[in-house]
Amino acid sequence: MTFSKFDTLIVERHGPVGWLINNRPEQLNAMSGHMRDEFGDAWLELDADPEVKVIVHTGEGRAFQTGVDVQELATDGMGMERYRESVENWDLHFTAWQQGVQKPVITAINGICAGGAFHWVAEADIVIAASDAQFFDPHVSVGQVVAIEAIALLRKMPFESVMRMALVGRYERMNAERAYELGMISQIVDPPEQLREVAQELGETIAKNSPAAMRATKRALWGALEHGLTEGCRAGAQELVSMWGHPDQTEGPLAFAEKREPRWADLPPS
Amino acid sequence: MAYERLVVERQGPVGWLIFDRPDVGNAMDARMMTELEEAWRELDDDPAVRVIVNTGNGRNFQTGLDVAALSRDKEAMTEQSRRTRDAALRFTAWHNQVWTPVIAAVNGNCAGGGLHFVADADIVIAARDAQFFDTHVSLGQAMSYEGVGLSHKMAFEPIMRMALVGRSERMPAARARQLGMISQVVDPPDRLRDAAQELAEQVAKNSPAAMRATKKALWGALEHGLTDACRAGAQELVDMWGHPDQTEGPLAFAEKRDARWETAQLEES
Repeated sequence: MTFSKFDTLIVERHGPVGWLINNRPEQLNAMSGHMRDEFGDAWLELDADPEVKVIVHTGEGRAFQTGVDVQELATDGMGMERYRESVENWDLHFTAWQQGVQKPVITAINGICAGGAFHWVAEADIVIAASDAQFFDPHVSVGQVVAIEAIALLRKMPFESVMRMALVGRYERMNAERAYELGMISQIVDPPEQLREVAQELGETIAKNSPAAMRATKRALWGALEHGLTEGCRAGAQELVSMWGHPDQTEGPLAFAEKREPRWADLPPS
Repeated sequence: MAYERLVVERQGPVGWLIFDRPDVGNAMDARMMTELEEAWRELDDDPAVRVIVNTGNGRNFQTGLDVAALSRDKEAMTEQSRRTRDAALRFTAWHNQVWTPVIAAVNGNCAGGGLHFVADADIVIAARDAQFFDTHVSLGQAMSYEGVGLSHKMAFEPIMRMALVGRSERMPAARARQLGMISQVVDPPDRLRDAAQELAEQVAKNSPAAMRATKKALWGALEHGLTDACRAGAQELVDMWGHPDQTEGPLAFAEKRDARWETAQLEES
């Protein structure tokens, strides 16, 4: 499968790993209206490609991403109004979670991760970062509200750290080590230049697992963020049972017993 | 109100709310609980106060209800029991729907009901010698609200351990920071108030309207499942659009100058 040509993103595949790379390095990968649209298409193309088992998301240049392109907002006369309808109707399409991506998504943070960039931290399954990565949220320092990206993030890590970042704004940055301590990320890559190599390795490691089992696992665990505990378990039980009778579900134990690599079924389109 | 159990003061844009019953570990009697409700309201309503810092006088931050004093005051005890039963408490910032950012600066011991003020603050910092523990079950009392609040904000196991071990174990500030219960340990401890003032002044540079909407979105998120919380958060986001700060911020950024925030009092929510 070949991918579309994008102006603001690089989309490519290395073995079982699909790569989505933010590519506006001059603007620190800030998201223009055009980039926002391209994200929506890129996630769907990667999720639809049967050769892609895991998706890695990173950025070109010295920043991973820095949120909405404030320069564009301040100068083109439209400002945030262009986004009003999609936000009011909760009709967003620029992250994997928003697009219902069913494959595992690894975010690999290179350099600066600021403001709206937390969307792709909060809404990824796994997050790793280069040792020189820096996290901060300047929204309130430029008169904007922190909402959706932090709401998802505070489901996944201690609340106080998220709130401090939200209220201190641009006057403080969190380093990769602290993000690791807090469980916001699970791995620090040092030296930073090895980030993509390490992400590819992690992607290949995950790609060894059953695609169908990982899809059901993602549904169960993300679904759990929607409910109280008992209801989350009930919904999770449905995902669990949905695997029973699936070929992977007998192939896994068999391969283990026979001490060989399992042969997984390809994932049908969702 | 003339405060007898609290010190309420202002330093620049920062309002200070200080527990002031150092002889009894800053424990709350009926009078202090009444004053707390009043003080949170006063500071939240003052447009000159951009950030509130909450700390304690003496070697304790806060040690919860003064059960001895309350047991001598039948009427207060009845009222307190009613509020507890009805989930109608009014002594923390969250109870009182304070939308100004609140920093808890924990000096010394934070025990039992003192954890309310950690659970219900936006940002928490502590002196190096601060200690966190929960004596409820050691005194035959159930721990509830504080633990429920904290369980939405950090790892569950450390809270349950604190609740069940009771007075026999204390969590030091360094462990609280590791767990993300607090974000900063101040050393030496006597620098705590300076550090809190500095942090508060940084927070005070941000748009008051944007911070209020941010607080509503993030605290509100604890009430709902993820998707519903995002929908509700989207409303807070959009409500800010058209506010002068919302265009002033990007403009100041583009012009490389400090933003001039709307200083008119925020409308009553």
